[in-house]
Amino acid sequence: MKDIARQAMSIKVESMDMLNGQIKMEANASATYLAMASWCEQNGFFTSAKFFFKQSEEEREHMMKIFNFLIDVGGSPLSPEVTNINHDYSSIVDVFEHTLDHEIAVTKSIHQIVMKARELGDLTTERFLDWFVLEQVEEENTIRDILDMISVTGTEGVGLQLIDDHVGNWIN
Amino acid sequence: MKVVYQSTYYTLYQSEKERCFYIDFVQKTVRMSFCQLLALRHKVLSIPIEHHFDSDLNKHGFELLQLCNKEHLFILNTLEVLDLKSLVEQGFVRLGISVNATALHV
Repeated sequence: MKDIARQAMSIKVESMDMLNGQIKMEANASATYLAMASWCEQNGFFTSAKFFFKQSEEEREHMMKIFNFLIDVGGSPLSPEVTNINHDYSSIVDVFEHTLDHEIAVTKSIHQIVMKARELGDLTTERFLDWFVLEQVEEENTIRDILDMISVTGTEGVGLQLIDDHVGNWIN
Repeated sequence: MKVVYQSTYYTLYQSEKERCFYIDFVQKTVRMSFCQLLALRHKVLSIPIEHHFDSDLNKHGFELLQLCNKEHLFILNTLEVLDLKSLVEQGFVRLGISVNATALHV
């Protein structure tokens, strides 16, 4: 039997399903960082707000990278539905701790897709995700460095103002 | 046309000459491009079958399925939904682009 389906799509449908899940996760991250930017603006952390606006854009770029990959391989990318975005944080430290948790969750999700693609023998998807694996190392490292900076600076006195100023060092 | 997979109620065919697929839904046979077949897969696997066993969530146990950019409309009962899920899962395995007989929930 002629392989019409394979001629139309170059990855496994299971990989496509997982990548659509990742599209949703990246969209959720983008919306979450936008909510964090809003919180920072409202609470006087204007440099941190800029940082999160940029993070939000980056997450959307990640989403689009996967979206376009699915188009390139003949798959069916799905526009994600994003709901239940948290807008409440108790402090700027809470915001960055949530950010690190979010990045770790994204890293785990990408690793799971890589492992599953490997299991499926889907080399195309596995190689495509190489960039994301390394990108997550950078993302996690940035937030860890900011949390270290917060720990060293402290939140007493002018600490919060200094923290917000220093976050500017991580805006490229 | 060659049979790709036959479930209890439905049959998936591949037409090499037309480079497309057909599904015989008994009432009628629907011609589909590969993209439309992918869309069908998504719609069918997204049906929450557990809702069919909860009268608060699905009162009548029926499912409306629109296919091929709203060109076709089907009303399926619980058994037909389960059978169509099976056709989609097994069909994609036979087409060589799905490894697992049990596809992921989408």
